[in-house]
Amino acid sequence: MSATAVIEQIEKRAPADTKQTSEVVVSVRGLTKVFKDFWNRPKARAVDNVDFEVRKGEVFGLLGPNGSGKSTTVKLILGLLYPTKGHIEVFDHSPRHVATKARIGYLPEESYLYRYLNSRETLDFFGNLFELPKADRENRAEQLLEMVGLSQTQLRAVGEFSKGMQRRIGLAQALINDPDLVILDEPTSGLDPIGCREVKDLILALARRGKTVILSSHLLSDVEDVCDRVVIYYGGRIQAMGQLKDLLARPDAIRITSPALPRETMERVLELIRKDVADDKVRVETPTQNLENYFLEVVRKARQAAAETSGATSGATVAAYLRGDGETKPSGEKILERLTMPAASPIAQKPEPALAETVDQSRLEALTKAPETTPAVTKPKAEKPEELEKANEKLAGLVKPKE
Amino acid sequence: MYAQLARLGYKIGIGFGIFGALARWIFGQQIAAIIGLTWKAAFRFRLFIVVAALLLAAVVGLPILIKDDGTARGFTQILLTYTLSAITGLLGISTLWLACGTLARDIEDCQMQVVAVKPIPRWRIWLGKWLGIMSLNAALLAISGFSVYALLQWRATKLPVEEQQTLRNEILVARGSIKPKNVEADIRDEAEGRLKQRLTKTPVGAADLPEVRKQIREQVKAEYEQVPPGYTRTWELDLGLAKDKVRNRPLQMRVKFQSADKSASGTFEAMWQFGVPRKTRIARSQPMSLSPETFHEFEIPENLYDENGILTVSFLNANNTTLIFPVDEGIEVLYPQGSFGPNFARGLGVIFCWMALLGALGLFAASFLSFPVAAFFAVGLLAVVFSTKTIESAVTEGTLGHFNAETGQAGRLPIDVVAIPVFKGILQVIQLAKGFSPVDSLSTGRSITWSELAQAFGEIVLILGGPFALMGMGILTRRELATAQGTQ
Repeated sequence: MSATAVIEQIEKRAPADTKQTSEVVVSVRGLTKVFKDFWNRPKARAVDNVDFEVRKGEVFGLLGPNGSGKSTTVKLILGLLYPTKGHIEVFDHSPRHVATKARIGYLPEESYLYRYLNSRETLDFFGNLFELPKADRENRAEQLLEMVGLSQTQLRAVGEFSKGMQRRIGLAQALINDPDLVILDEPTSGLDPIGCREVKDLILALARRGKTVILSSHLLSDVEDVCDRVVIYYGGRIQAMGQLKDLLARPDAIRITSPALPRETMERVLELIRKDVADDKVRVETPTQNLENYFLEVVRKARQAAAETSGATSGATVAAYLRGDGETKPSGEKILERLTMPAASPIAQKPEPALAETVDQSRLEALTKAPETTPAVTKPKAEKPEELEKANEKLAGLVKPKE
Repeated sequence: MYAQLARLGYKIGIGFGIFGALARWIFGQQIAAIIGLTWKAAFRFRLFIVVAALLLAAVVGLPILIKDDGTARGFTQILLTYTLSAITGLLGISTLWLACGTLARDIEDCQMQVVAVKPIPRWRIWLGKWLGIMSLNAALLAISGFSVYALLQWRATKLPVEEQQTLRNEILVARGSIKPKNVEADIRDEAEGRLKQRLTKTPVGAADLPEVRKQIREQVKAEYEQVPPGYTRTWELDLGLAKDKVRNRPLQMRVKFQSADKSASGTFEAMWQFGVPRKTRIARSQPMSLSPETFHEFEIPENLYDENGILTVSFLNANNTTLIFPVDEGIEVLYPQGSFGPNFARGLGVIFCWMALLGALGLFAASFLSFPVAAFFAVGLLAVVFSTKTIESAVTEGTLGHFNAETGQAGRLPIDVVAIPVFKGILQVIQLAKGFSPVDSLSTGRSITWSELAQAFGEIVLILGGPFALMGMGILTRRELATAQGTQ
C-alpha cells in the first residue's frame, strides 16, 4: 500500500498564468444597455455599468443566472447590440469594425444556422464569408466535422439535426477561421456528457495556443473546469470578479487525500491533527470520483466494444489547424484517450506527481510515518461489481445514438 | 434514361459552377456566397420549382382559356399580352415575397446574427440578397420567356403561309414607330395667346383663371385633333435616319380615332392619301370602313416620302360627323426595324428591371420591418402605384375636394396647397416605372430598342430601385440585430 499522500488542489491549466500577457483583447468600460419600447421608453436595464478586461490567452467566464445580462454583454461585444452608455473595444477597435471580425469566432446560445444547408455547405458558406481559399475551406471543414463528430452526417440538412448535433456544427462554424478570440454562449447546452467534455477540452486546447476564450454560461461546472477568470452577473451587474482559484480558495482549510490507510495509521494521523484542531472541525471521508469521469469511463469501455451510432459520433480529434499542427497534418489522437492523460485533463483525476510540489513536505512526512496506534476509521468502500454493472446499464441508455 | 438524367444533372451542375465562378469573379467571394445562399433557399424551399411550374402552366394553359377575334394576328396579340402579363404578375408576387422573407426571416430567426459577426459589411449582405433574387428572376424569366417564344413560333408554323406572313410583318417583328411632331408646345402657346386676348377683352378673377386657362387649352387641343365632315386633315411624319433603311419596303399605318356621334353601322368611312402631288409619288387608299376606339393597321406602299424622309399623310372625312384623332396615339407609322427574337428578349429585360425594383422594395421593407409587416408595407406601396388614377384625377382637378364635372368648378381645400404638388411629384416618380410598356410593345410588334432598355434600367433600377437599395443597406447597417428575441 502506498504511503504517499498529497493535498488535492486541482490545477485546471497549469501554464495559464504564464501564458497570459498584458495584451488586452476585450475592454469593457462603464457598459450599460437599456432596452426601450416602441415609444423609446426604458423597458429593461439588461446591463448596468459593467467594467472588465479580457487578456490574450485567458479563458474568461461570464457566469450568472438566466436573464442576468451575460448574453446581452456578449452581443454588445459582437456589435449585434449597441451600448446605451459605456465603451467597448475588441482588439483595440469598435465591435462594429468589420475587419476585426475576421479574428473572432462566435457560437450563439441557440442554433442560428440555415436549416436547409447541410453541415459541409454550412462550413463552406461561413468559410466564404471569411474569404478563405477553396482548399482551406475544404480542409478545415473536413477537420472540423471530424472534430465535432459529424463527419458521418455531413450531407444531412442542419434542420434535421438533434439539438446536440446543431451545437456541434455551430461550434465548428465558430472555428472555421481559426479565430484569436472565441466567444461561446452556453456552448455545452444540449450536449451529452461526452460532447461537454470535448468542448471543454477544445477550449483548453485553444487556450494552450494562446487563443482568448470568452465563455458565457450558467452551468457552474463548465466555468469551473476551464476558466481562469470569471465575472459573476446578477441583475445586469457584476457581483464578483477575479481569478477562479482566488474566488474559490478556502485558505482556512486543507484537504488531504491518500490511498486507503490501515485503521491504526489513520488513528495516528487524526490524533496528530487533533492536537491542533478541535475534533468537530476534522472530517474523514472516502473521496468519490465525479459522475462525468465515471460516465466517460463507461463510454470508453462501450466504445471498445465498437458500438455504432447514426447520430453524432464522439469527436475524434481537435482539428489540426486549431491545435497549431498546420493545416494538413493528420492526427490520430483520440480525445477520450487524451483525456486520460494528466496534462490534457481539465479535472485532476489522479493528482499524483505533477501536483506534488504544492504539498507541504514536512506535513506529508508526518502523515506517512509508521503507525503507532490503530485508530478506528471508516474504510473506503470497495465498489461491488454488480453495482458497477447496474450503473453501466443505466448509463448505456445515455450513450445511445441520438436521432 | 438514367444516363440522360445524369448527363442533364452534370450539365446543370456545370452551369451552376460557371454561374458561381462568374459571380465570385464579378462581385467577390462574400457576395457570391450570399447569392448562392439565396439560390439554395429558393430551391430547398421549392419556391423556384413551384414558381417555374406556375409560369409554365400559365404559358401552356392560357392559350386554351383565352378568347380572341378569330384571326391569327388577334390570337397572337392576346396570347402575348396574357402570358407576359401573367408572367409579370406571378414573378412580381414571388419576388416581393422572397425579398421580404429572405431578409426579415433571417433577422427574426437570428441567422443574421451569425452572418453579421463575420467580416462581411452588412451592405454586402443586402446587395448579395438583391443580386440573388435578381439572378433567380433572370432564370425564371428565361425559362418562361423561352417557353412563350417557342410556343409562338410553333403555332406560327401551323398557320397558312399568308397568315404566317401577316404575323411576321405585324406581330413577330420589331417595328420602329414614327408619330407626327409633338404639338403640345404649339397647343400651349396657342392657348396662352388666346387667353391673353380674352383677358384684354373680359377680365377674369384670379380664382377662376386656372379654370379658364384649362378650358381654352382643351378647346385648342380639340382643334388639333378634330376632322370635321367633308374636311381633309394632313400630318407630316419625319422618317429621319430610318428613310434609307425602309427604302423599297412597305410601311404600316396604325390609326385610332373617336367619333362625335354614333353611326348606324358602327363604322365610319375613311379615305387616305400618301405623298404630295408633284413632289413625291402618290398612293390613295380604297374607301375603308373603320370602327372608332380601335387600333387599325394597314399597309402603305413603299417610297412615298420625299428626299428629306418626310411622309405626308392626308385623311378625308367623308362622314356626317366629326372624327377625332388623339394627338398622342391617333396616327403612327410603323416600319421594320429588327427581328422578333432579340426584341422579345429586350422586352423581358424591361420586365426584369421591374422585378429588380420589386426586389429592392421588398428588401428595403424587410430591413426594418418583420416579415408580415414588410410584405404588407410593400404590397401597400404597390397598391398606391396601381391606383394612380385617383392621384391623377386629383392633380387634373387641382383639388382633393369636390369637383363639379358639369361646371368645371372645384372646391378648394387648404390641404391642396401641399397635397397637389406632392401628388404631382409622386406621379412623376411612378411614371418612371410605368412609362414602359414592353407587353404592349411586343403584342403590337413594336420595337423595344437597346436605348429604351438602357433607359428602363437607368430609370427603374437605378433611379427608383437605387434609393430603396441605399436606404435598405443603410438601415441594415445601422440597426441592432439582436433585439428581436427580447432583452436577454
